[in-house]
Amino acid sequence: MTTVEARPLPGRDRADDERADGDTADPDRTDHVPADRTTPDRGPANRAEPRPGIPPTLSPMLSRLAQERATGVLTRERGVLYLVEGQVVHAESPATPGLDVLLTTRGALGSDGWWEAVSEAGADRRVGRFLVDSGRLTAGALELCHLGALYDAAFFTLGPSSGPARFRYGVAHWIGPVRPVSVDAVERETLRRRDLLHRIWPEPGTDTEPLVRTGRAVDATLPPRQRTVLDQVDGERTASDISLVLGRPGFHTLVDLRRLAAAGIVTTRSPTIASGPIPTGSVESGSIASGLAECGPDGARTPEAPATPLSPVSTVVAQAAEAAQASADPDVALLRRLRDALEAL
Amino acid sequence: MPGIDECLLEAMRLPGARGASVVDWTSGLALGTVGDSPNGDHEATAAEAAELARLAAEHKAFAPEEGADWSGGQPPVEDLIICNKDSYHVLRFVRTTFDSSVFLHLWLGRSDGNLALARIRLGEMAERLVVG
Repeated sequence: MTTVEARPLPGRDRADDERADGDTADPDRTDHVPADRTTPDRGPANRAEPRPGIPPTLSPMLSRLAQERATGVLTRERGVLYLVEGQVVHAESPATPGLDVLLTTRGALGSDGWWEAVSEAGADRRVGRFLVDSGRLTAGALELCHLGALYDAAFFTLGPSSGPARFRYGVAHWIGPVRPVSVDAVERETLRRRDLLHRIWPEPGTDTEPLVRTGRAVDATLPPRQRTVLDQVDGERTASDISLVLGRPGFHTLVDLRRLAAAGIVTTRSPTIASGPIPTGSVESGSIASGLAECGPDGARTPEAPATPLSPVSTVVAQAAEAAQASADPDVALLRRLRDALEAL
Repeated sequence: MPGIDECLLEAMRLPGARGASVVDWTSGLALGTVGDSPNGDHEATAAEAAELARLAAEHKAFAPEEGADWSGGQPPVEDLIICNKDSYHVLRFVRTTFDSSVFLHLWLGRSDGNLALARIRLGEMAERLVVG
């Protein structure tokens, strides 16, 4: 576990500054589930019960942090959650556009306006407040966009994870307070969203893999939001690439792609379609596969598609996520890397 | 300039208001709720209302005669009205300048609610929420 410098709140024991454990979605850890979670106290209608095989608690560590009303940042494999006194105040994931992309893509906010707010109020961690006070956004618009982005990034962050989770006490996000939500609400919504996707189309491939059109004719009744997504399917882009291009929350894109997949219009790119040089190092002498490997590029030796060239936007986000994980000060480092990468586009 | 809570509280001051919420119709997420909900569960109500709103927004039958104008990514439908024996539901789509799929949902008692007034006011609230 990499030890990074945390910024503790005054009075907190240093020894407690950082916590890490194997916070993977491990079914063995479901004993952390509060007994009342399964109590049908909210009515049975449309309640997304976790399906068999899916642990009813997404992150035991997150539940504990909520109970102890912790403040800081939880870093998981696919994103980060910022907590203030046990409530979720912000979330980010490389799989979905950040607030800046969401607000600037359609012109709700000019890029200049965004960066001015970040430079004016970022150090005080009041960027959200500044955007409203300076008249750039209404409180309602900021809350709608930020809250949507929070649940969206949390959905990806709390997705199945194989890596350990890490919590750093005292770290706050520069966006500042907007509209905190409970950990319980975030976890419940994440499970409900998984269930929603599964009901639309049970194959999860379109969530993450490069997408292609099947060639099936598209009739005029295709809803415009799905058509907008379909127009971005080019054989290379993934769902998160498309979300970034459209400035649309990632989960919304997943929903539309599952609907397009269910309609037989979009599918994942088959490994055999992908072309590219075969890594020579993968031919192992004496292995059973080596005979197959000589059959051609679509042989069994390459079960996975060759690495897809990342689009600039996904590279930016990947870099930003990497910076956030590697740096002692994720906020400032993230901002710098994002700015540099955006300017370089 | 009002936030989500102020907007919902304003909606609750309408005659006959029983409950109000702001809902994302793509995911079914309730972004904010106040008052009661018809089945005692705002989240479940939001998910059901979202499904209805999505169908209304996406089906051409409900678009204006000149066609479904989705300019700005916003649906061509302004609002939905549901009436039952004892209550009204008004769902008002919120037009935002960023990509979204949000509506306001107001639940009114039929005996003391004023549907026409509620519809007009909800439209004004939806606009003020994002435009100011």
